Amino acid sequence: MSLQWRHRLFSYGVVVPFAIVLAFPFVWMAVTSLKPQNEVFDPAHTWSFHPTLASWGFLFHHTAYVQWLENSCFVGVTVVIITLAIAMPAGYALARLAGRVGRSLGVAIFLTYLVPPTLLFLPLSRVVAQYLHLSDRLWALIVVYPSFTIPFAVWLLMGFFKSIPQELEDAALIDGCSRFGALVRIVFPISMPGILTVVIFTFSLVINEFLYAITFISSSTNRTLTVGVPTDLIRGDLFNWPGIMAAILIPSIPLALVYNAFLNRFIAGFTGGAFR
Amino acid sequence: MSGERRISRRELLKKAGAGAAAVGAAGAGAPFAFAGPHKYTGRWLSGNLSAITWVHFVPSYDAWLDPWAKQWGEANDVQVNIEHINNTLLDTRAAAEVSAQQGHDLFFNLHPMAIYEDQVIDHKPIVQEVARTQGAYMPIAQASTYNRKTKKYFAVSDSYVPDPVVWRYDLWTGVGAEPNTWENVLKAAPKLKKIGHPIGIGQSQELDSNMALYAFLMCFGSFLQDEHNRPSLDTKNTVRAVNFMAQMYRVGEDPAIFAWNPASNNQYLYSGTASLILNAISATRTPEQLHLPFSDSLYIWPIPAGPHGRLGLEHLMGCWNIWKFSQNKENAMKFLVDLLKAGKQATIQSQLYNFPTFAKTFPFEQIRQLAAKDPNKPHGKYTVLTTIAERYTHNIGFPGTMNPAMDEVFSTFLIPQMFAQVSQGKMSAAQSVASIKSQVNAIYKKWEARGAV
Repeated sequence: MSLQWRHRLFSYGVVVPFAIVLAFPFVWMAVTSLKPQNEVFDPAHTWSFHPTLASWGFLFHHTAYVQWLENSCFVGVTVVIITLAIAMPAGYALARLAGRVGRSLGVAIFLTYLVPPTLLFLPLSRVVAQYLHLSDRLWALIVVYPSFTIPFAVWLLMGFFKSIPQELEDAALIDGCSRFGALVRIVFPISMPGILTVVIFTFSLVINEFLYAITFISSSTNRTLTVGVPTDLIRGDLFNWPGIMAAILIPSIPLALVYNAFLNRFIAGFTGGAFR
Repeated sequence: MSGERRISRRELLKKAGAGAAAVGAAGAGAPFAFAGPHKYTGRWLSGNLSAITWVHFVPSYDAWLDPWAKQWGEANDVQVNIEHINNTLLDTRAAAEVSAQQGHDLFFNLHPMAIYEDQVIDHKPIVQEVARTQGAYMPIAQASTYNRKTKKYFAVSDSYVPDPVVWRYDLWTGVGAEPNTWENVLKAAPKLKKIGHPIGIGQSQELDSNMALYAFLMCFGSFLQDEHNRPSLDTKNTVRAVNFMAQMYRVGEDPAIFAWNPASNNQYLYSGTASLILNAISATRTPEQLHLPFSDSLYIWPIPAGPHGRLGLEHLMGCWNIWKFSQNKENAMKFLVDLLKAGKQATIQSQLYNFPTFAKTFPFEQIRQLAAKDPNKPHGKYTVLTTIAERYTHNIGFPGTMNPAMDEVFSTFLIPQMFAQVSQGKMSAAQSVASIKSQVNAIYKKWEARGAV
């Protein structure tokens, strides 16, 4: 057996089991979404069942599923924009602030990320309802979510900006660029992997958030996906597993594709700040 | 393979995007595919009423309540908006609404929220008005919603839910036992676990574990408080009960019980695994509805008897609350009066899950007759519900009454914690009881100082 084949065999030997394990949840979701409700609980029908699209029909005809998807996307995209607009300059400033002040500020900002929402949702509910008058509006979430996405994004970008040599900016300044011009033309383009990482992570954090969404949003049509699915697809003790699986599978696929498309940049974004 | 054309990621994304756009455009044409729910385009009613309640365990109840509320709104010139959320989220929402001093006009929860007594109106006028036509407010409802110290109705209950033991007849007869006493349950537990069907009584920080373990304590003569609402947890009976349940866990249960939510014991039963759980009849209704193979073997009995007798708890206590900051108090009060008067329909539509809280709304004898007609097998199995409701169902805090201290002890899940830390081997029963007792006493002292207990 040639060396090349041995390498291949080794690579596939490692990758294939991983791929099977990682793909299994998607297969399970797809299979369960096609089962009739009464066969979900029956171990005899794990793989042999009577396929039906009833749960998919229920999802689209009897719930506000499409509206929840739209709401989640709207909140996600808006929060990503707000987060980038604030975290990019903040991260850059902290990265370039030499000495103890910059480090302390960076740590202080990150510490705010560690305060759990279970402590914050009560005071924030007062702020949202009494001062901002945003109860039961998606804008309540858009205002609140940056409180945990910005600290995380600032911390991530700060590490990334630190890895960019100061000399590059100096060269741009000597060539006649303004500080802002150097930032936009030199620093940000080089930082694209880090920025993409922030985009993906911020969007994921927002899509997954549950507590604020259940606290601030009341009406079914204003719900996001994370709240709409458990509220309308769990009837007390009866979990509509086929419906839940279908509801989760639909957004999972495009998200998985996006992750895959930007995989290399994503990894670069994470490791970018690690080496100098 | 020189002739093979590889698709780049960029191309793949382009094609996938075009495909998604095409599917979206086609779907948008179909009126039901992407249209979402109907929205009101205009309003014409003069008043408003917003209410929040749970997603009922028996779906036919919600299918009745929502149209009923809409009709009530049309008849009373009020635009009614009822929001349903998962029962586990009600406490979080209540806390948020109180903090914001803003929220729904009517707030429903599955246990009395005595800790919010200062935040709600006195519901006495509602109780009196309903009692005028529906008979006396039942003792269990009175004990659950009335604070004897402050003389205030901090809620009004529309229903309570009996809490039978639900067990698999086929499995239990297979091991030659019946769950009529806790001693028998303990004896049968290892045999049942050995054949792959453990007992399913939770020890987790959730409502069902709370209810089951409070009732279990009472069967052993242990009570959280006495008839004067003074804490009375630390007794030999409590230690004995905790040791007994730890033994039950060791020989006949799975570690999953420490991480359960209110639906977990039901799921455990539906999967065909559990041989016994303590739960309301949703645990039998769902298998009937799904035609699960063992649904005819599901029996319901009163709670097993302990050394102190057979003392059960309600599984749920449906309580409506009107906040002081409610914007539409009058509408809320009128709505509640009419809803409570429709209690008979509520019991029927919930398939005997809800039991009314006013004596004449749907007398036990009539409920028994209706239960006897239930077509599910074994025939007549639901008739025992009235016996359970009349004889073995007590309020949280029995032999005392509900109060803010009791509510806080209940809502912070101290009792499941007391059991779990012994079952998991972290403490001895005596240590665990002593530890929880000190926390319970501190809570009672706090509320006594505020004049609420």
